[in-house]
Amino acid sequence: MLEQRAFEPEFLSKLDGLLLGVRRARTVRAGRRTLGRVQGGGIEPENFREYTAGDDLRYLDWNAFARLDDLTIRTFRADRQVEATVLVDASASMGVPARDDKLGLALLLGLGLAYVAMSENDPVRVVAIRGDRGGPRLIASRFYRRHESYYELRPLVATLKAGGDTRLAAAVTELLGERRPPGIVIVISDFLVNASDYEAALTQLVAARHEVKVVHVMGETEMAGAYPPGPYRLRDAETGETREVMLGPAAAQACHRRATAHAERVGSFCARHGLNHMQAFSAARVDETIVRDFPHLGVIV
Amino acid sequence: MGLLNPLNLLLGLSLAALVAIYLRAQARPTIEVSSLALFDEAPAPVARSRILRVDLLFWLEAAALATLTLVAAGFYVRMAAPVNRPLRRALIFDLGASMNAVDANGTRLAAAQRQARAIVDGAPPGDQFKVVGYALEARIMQAQVSRKPDLEHAIDALRATAVAARPSALRAALNSANTAEKIDLFTDHPPAPELLEEARTRGALVVHQVGSPVDNLAVLALEPGTPKTAEGRCLVRNFAYRPQTCELRIDLDGRQVFDSPLMIEPRAVAAVRFGPIPQGGVLHAHITPADGLAADNDRYALAPKGRVMRALVVSPDNAVRDDLARVLLAVNPGFQVTTRASALDSSPAADGKQAEPNFDLAILHDTNDTGSAAPAHLFIFPPLGQTGTGAAPIPVTGTASAVELQSRAGVAPLATPVLLGAARLFTIPGWMDALAQGADTALGTTLPLAATGYTSQGAVGVIAFDVRNHLLLDPDRLDALLLAIDTIKVLSTPPGAKVVATGDLVTMPTFAATTLIAPDSTRTPLTPDRWGRVRFRPLDAGRYILVANRQVTEVYANYYDELGSDLATSVAAPPTPREETRAPARPLIETKVVPLTTALAGVVLLILLLESAILLRRARTWGLNHV
Repeated sequence: MLEQRAFEPEFLSKLDGLLLGVRRARTVRAGRRTLGRVQGGGIEPENFREYTAGDDLRYLDWNAFARLDDLTIRTFRADRQVEATVLVDASASMGVPARDDKLGLALLLGLGLAYVAMSENDPVRVVAIRGDRGGPRLIASRFYRRHESYYELRPLVATLKAGGDTRLAAAVTELLGERRPPGIVIVISDFLVNASDYEAALTQLVAARHEVKVVHVMGETEMAGAYPPGPYRLRDAETGETREVMLGPAAAQACHRRATAHAERVGSFCARHGLNHMQAFSAARVDETIVRDFPHLGVIV
Repeated sequence: MGLLNPLNLLLGLSLAALVAIYLRAQARPTIEVSSLALFDEAPAPVARSRILRVDLLFWLEAAALATLTLVAAGFYVRMAAPVNRPLRRALIFDLGASMNAVDANGTRLAAAQRQARAIVDGAPPGDQFKVVGYALEARIMQAQVSRKPDLEHAIDALRATAVAARPSALRAALNSANTAEKIDLFTDHPPAPELLEEARTRGALVVHQVGSPVDNLAVLALEPGTPKTAEGRCLVRNFAYRPQTCELRIDLDGRQVFDSPLMIEPRAVAAVRFGPIPQGGVLHAHITPADGLAADNDRYALAPKGRVMRALVVSPDNAVRDDLARVLLAVNPGFQVTTRASALDSSPAADGKQAEPNFDLAILHDTNDTGSAAPAHLFIFPPLGQTGTGAAPIPVTGTASAVELQSRAGVAPLATPVLLGAARLFTIPGWMDALAQGADTALGTTLPLAATGYTSQGAVGVIAFDVRNHLLLDPDRLDALLLAIDTIKVLSTPPGAKVVATGDLVTMPTFAATTLIAPDSTRTPLTPDRWGRVRFRPLDAGRYILVANRQVTEVYANYYDELGSDLATSVAAPPTPREETRAPARPLIETKVVPLTTALAGVVLLILLLESAILLRRARTWGLNHV
């Protein structure tokens, strides 16, 4: 339900004026914007440098040559053409606890980032990952570049339900199999899988020269362990495994400790690998999160 | 404590529903979580606490439901509260013979009247009093009234009788005063605690025991003996705890036949022999000087007249004839008995004597009327059909194979019924009085076993059971013999005089308007009923005279009651548990029924508020904003 806010004008108005920063410079090749130090094909002057053999004489600054008698090449900033992929975990764990609406929060943040990415007409798509019998299934939208096309994402968001198990590494492998040029991949998940799985997934993305941004989504309830006290039978939403526990204040503290440790582990991994990382642990404070934590992802205000 | 609507306790079944809900809630619910890894450190539940875990909310809910159930059932408590309104009170007086006992302060009844007047005078205006007297039976002397002159008049008009106060009469008196909020009972004999408990009076009962110990002598018995033949005997008892002297004087029809001073040991009985008296008549024994109670200082007895009484016994059974003749001679040795084998047998009977044309009493066993001109007939085990004298037939409808004797008139019901043989079933006509009741052992139905009555042709009696096989002489069936003797005595009593006990119902045959002259010379007109009888109960000891058409019948009433005559110990009896030595000071405390509906509703509200507070606290713990 929370994801419906992503299409409300009030929400979008807060995102207007934000830019999604790219950590490395861009170069243009064959009309495409790619990461690298290559002469751009844009019209915005960027710099001057000495002429070297092989440079395109069309960019020689003849006025400077006449005054200074030096051959100077004028360079231009290339057009921005960075593909952004918002990779949203839609596994079953994102559906519980239901009142936390983790999937809604993930979609809201993902759509917000997509909207920001569209500010400079970068192609953006949203890809949801769901576990399936035969393996992970990617539910991907088309690439959209303009804010006017933003609303085309609504059908995908409206029909998306949490389900299946989380196979981040396999899903990333499948995503990379599309052989898209390196771009920005925003991974939004609770990462409640084996650490090796999400670490493998993120490592693959980095290895494919994508700029990876990580949004760690958790619910308030599971972070605090604030379940009604009493004896309960717990069932893992993804594996179906059950366990009988006695919930109460002590269990809540233990649960909070585990969740905090999990969040710290994800955060430390991202820090080690230079990944942009932010935490979103409360659906109620999503506006505050956007203002406070979006810059962590390289969003320029 | 109690419940006004106990049926509403069914609402308590909601507790069962609550328990079901609680158990359902205690069934371990399943929660779906994102990852079990988050709960690795959560403790495992303790198995035994699964059902027995104490949940404060559950107990609060249970308490609220239980309290609501009590509210619906009308739970109440009895509380003592002072009475500030006018009271309904009752004054109950023992009017038995012992209340006429005289001590230094006058009679016991006078002392009771003084105390009652003091109570009435001290009562606040508005209090209503009812005056009830009891002896033979309970009688309301004054209905509920608050006017003191009326009350004092009713108290002054009380008069003790010469009968022993019966417990049943006291019970009836307490019942008649059951609506009173305070009952004052005046008696010289403290009633049995069981009787007071049984009465279950609504108000407070205060027993005022009146009188002080006094010495008393009483004439227990007077046996006239046989004129000119056998000595008579008189028994005098000393109830005092010291020796007593008196003078015993015995008169026969007003003429002194014995006069002797007596000294009697403490608590002893003196048997004085006298006579034989020269002739039959009314024998009167009297002791002087006056003692504590006058009613038991006189005793009357009827001595058989010198004339020979003739009796006819008719029975087909030789042994029965013999038994009945023996019984007749035991009742009156002057009887001349004639026996016959059948009613039609006019030949000389087995004793060889010639049959007499007229008899004073005819006893007919298993046969019909002989047509004899006897003034009294006794039918024993009469044949089926119509029996009795011609003018007043008695219908005999059947035969019971075995009956048992359960009660005799004037005697308490038998503790053990006496098994008799076969008995005829007959309906008592209105002119007869039952003397004994029994039951059919096969059917369990009650039936009359003996009755007597008077017709214009004389006295008639019926004994329904068969007396064959020496039933009357069987020592194990003594009550059957006593019943036969009583019946014969009633039938053989000569007209013109009768000796009864005070309080007995006296039935006299008369077919004209009758005047009853009591011992105190008061005259009371009596109207005969449809069967020509007049009835009355002599309540004073002494001579009663019935006058009807110049025909005079004398009835002598004797009083003796062992408990009532024992004036030395009656007031020394231990007090009853409910006895109070003094009247409680105002205000009187009364018990009120106070429903606890409001208080219980308040408790429920408090419980609900506490429940809400606990819920809010838990909600805050769980991070819920709205509960």
